Amino acid sequence: MKAKLSTRALFVALAALMAYPFMPFASEYVLHVMILMMVYMVLAMGLNIVPGFCGLLDLGFVGFYGIGAYTSGLLTIHYGVPFWFIVPLAALNGALWGVLLGAPTLRLTGDYFAIVTFGFSELVVLFLTNEIWLTRGPLGLPGIDPVSIDLTWLNEDWFWEFLGEKPYFHLAALMVGGVWFVVRRLEDSRLGRAWFAIRADSLAAASCGVNILNYKVIAFAISASIGALGGAFFARWTLFLSPDMFKFWESFLVLCMIVLGGLGNVYGALVGAAVLTALGEVLREVLPVLGMPPEVRFLAYGLIMVLIMRFKPGGFFPAIATSGRSNPALADVQRRMAAHGATGEGGGGTAS
Amino acid sequence: MLEQFLAQLVNGLTLGVIYALIAVGYTMVYGVIELINFAHGEIYMLGAFLCVTFISALGIPFYPAIALAMLCCAAFGILLDIVAYRPLRKAPRLAALITAIGMSIFLQNLAMVIWGSRPKPFAQEAVPAYLKLTAVDVAGVHLTWLQVFIFAVTIGMMGGLYLTITRTRIGTAMRALAQNKTAAALMGINVNFVISFTFALGSAMGAVAGVLVSVYYNTLSPTMGYVAGVKAFAAAVLGGIGSVPGAMLGGVVLGVAEALGAGYVSSLYRDGVAYAVLIAVILFRPSGLLGRAVIDKA
Repeated sequence: MKAKLSTRALFVALAALMAYPFMPFASEYVLHVMILMMVYMVLAMGLNIVPGFCGLLDLGFVGFYGIGAYTSGLLTIHYGVPFWFIVPLAALNGALWGVLLGAPTLRLTGDYFAIVTFGFSELVVLFLTNEIWLTRGPLGLPGIDPVSIDLTWLNEDWFWEFLGEKPYFHLAALMVGGVWFVVRRLEDSRLGRAWFAIRADSLAAASCGVNILNYKVIAFAISASIGALGGAFFARWTLFLSPDMFKFWESFLVLCMIVLGGLGNVYGALVGAAVLTALGEVLREVLPVLGMPPEVRFLAYGLIMVLIMRFKPGGFFPAIATSGRSNPALADVQRRMAAHGATGEGGGGTAS
Repeated sequence: MLEQFLAQLVNGLTLGVIYALIAVGYTMVYGVIELINFAHGEIYMLGAFLCVTFISALGIPFYPAIALAMLCCAAFGILLDIVAYRPLRKAPRLAALITAIGMSIFLQNLAMVIWGSRPKPFAQEAVPAYLKLTAVDVAGVHLTWLQVFIFAVTIGMMGGLYLTITRTRIGTAMRALAQNKTAAALMGINVNFVISFTFALGSAMGAVAGVLVSVYYNTLSPTMGYVAGVKAFAAAVLGGIGSVPGAMLGGVVLGVAEALGAGYVSSLYRDGVAYAVLIAVILFRPSGLLGRAVIDKA
């Protein structure tokens, strides 16, 4: 009974949220922030798969985000490909690069993997900056068409003016819902269990017959394609891209989100994305008033990261409390990890 | 042709010895506690800024200012370890790595808040005039006294470091820790003291590198540690992380490769050389040029 009620409450809340853009008091700014929040939610859920589920630190996530965004922008500008075709193409391109980068590098142990992925994301930025014939380099890529819904019979300007950013809001919500659904399904699947086993102890997983490399590459490819999906949407929403948008900071920010929420927890990723996006906006408004430079924002993020690791290493929603549905495999894995004080990647480091 | 090649070679060597100086800091810390200290690049940047601040705000002369910056950075390195890394010694690897990145971001932005985000010139009036004169002029290759100074300082510091590690008690303790921390502790080595010493040594050398680079290019910025840190790390990996002679060799090789790459291939991808080298080495020879094959411990 109680569960039913809360489900109903959830639906009411969702319906209210979906109706919000059409309310007379809805502000463009709030809508903008909420769309941004949802983009980060998608990114956070995507990144979460690699460090959260498999326990491998991926510092190159922003590279896939950038690849998706530029795929989307360039296809639109040069070939006028409609949005619904671009989404799978960008995701596929992301997955392709995920496999290309992941297949050779995922044999590496944690630290080395982190560094290689970091190098990859920096190379992506260098490529976007220097291949001017393709990306216009530091000038950025303007003139991306907005997503248009084919409603030719509704050729009324006032209607499109009324809509404004609203379709993006619902599109973003659709994307968050879709990714959430997929990731939750994955978490409960054989694949998800294999990932958690790898995170707990890759050696033990391997000796139980889990083909570690395959599972890691799959995780990496899925994570990359979700990143690229976020990028594809982002490009068609901001309508302008520049290499600066895909620097390491973004990877770090998304990492902050999932660490804050709790590595390996999908709900945590959502909450972390919402909180840090909101915090970023609040700081953006407040800092100039207090006479502080905008750098304080990233200073705060850095400090948050250090403090969370120090005092709440599992984040605010540690993965053990993933959902109402208990996941016995995960709980078991968590208990063992706690018992051994085990590490992410196969127990290295603590040679005790 | 030859002239251009030699000029690039000299540039590359100058950069390379400086990378080596930073790389040593990474490799020593990694050797002892198996942590990639992402914030090491920021210590290098702090060294440069502290030196300039001592010169321009306190009016301290050039050489004492460098020494003071070294001391401050050494102290800062110890503080960094105590505040950020020591509480996580027994925590998962991922946590320590994330903390290191967090510290790096924090310090970089702290520097932006304190000194402003725009690049600054080095306090030129404080740099002794003779450092700018040409020392050697052979076959069209100019070697300034500054470059000679850079070579002398780095080679001197490397030699000193090498002797410290191989000939002194604390150096022996460092090597023992790198072998096996638990066994070293059982033999009565004060593990935390040795780790602090390692951080201090690496940070002091990083600070010198920061000062040398900012004098050489006459510019310093809060973001300089980021790129230099990556390159020095690439150098450390190239040489074999955990190996001090490896880091020295790796730094020089990377500096030369970068200068030649910028001169003959494309200057646009100058920074890309380091990333490409990094990825290639990690993929094909993770133990590096001079490294021991113990990386796959995990």
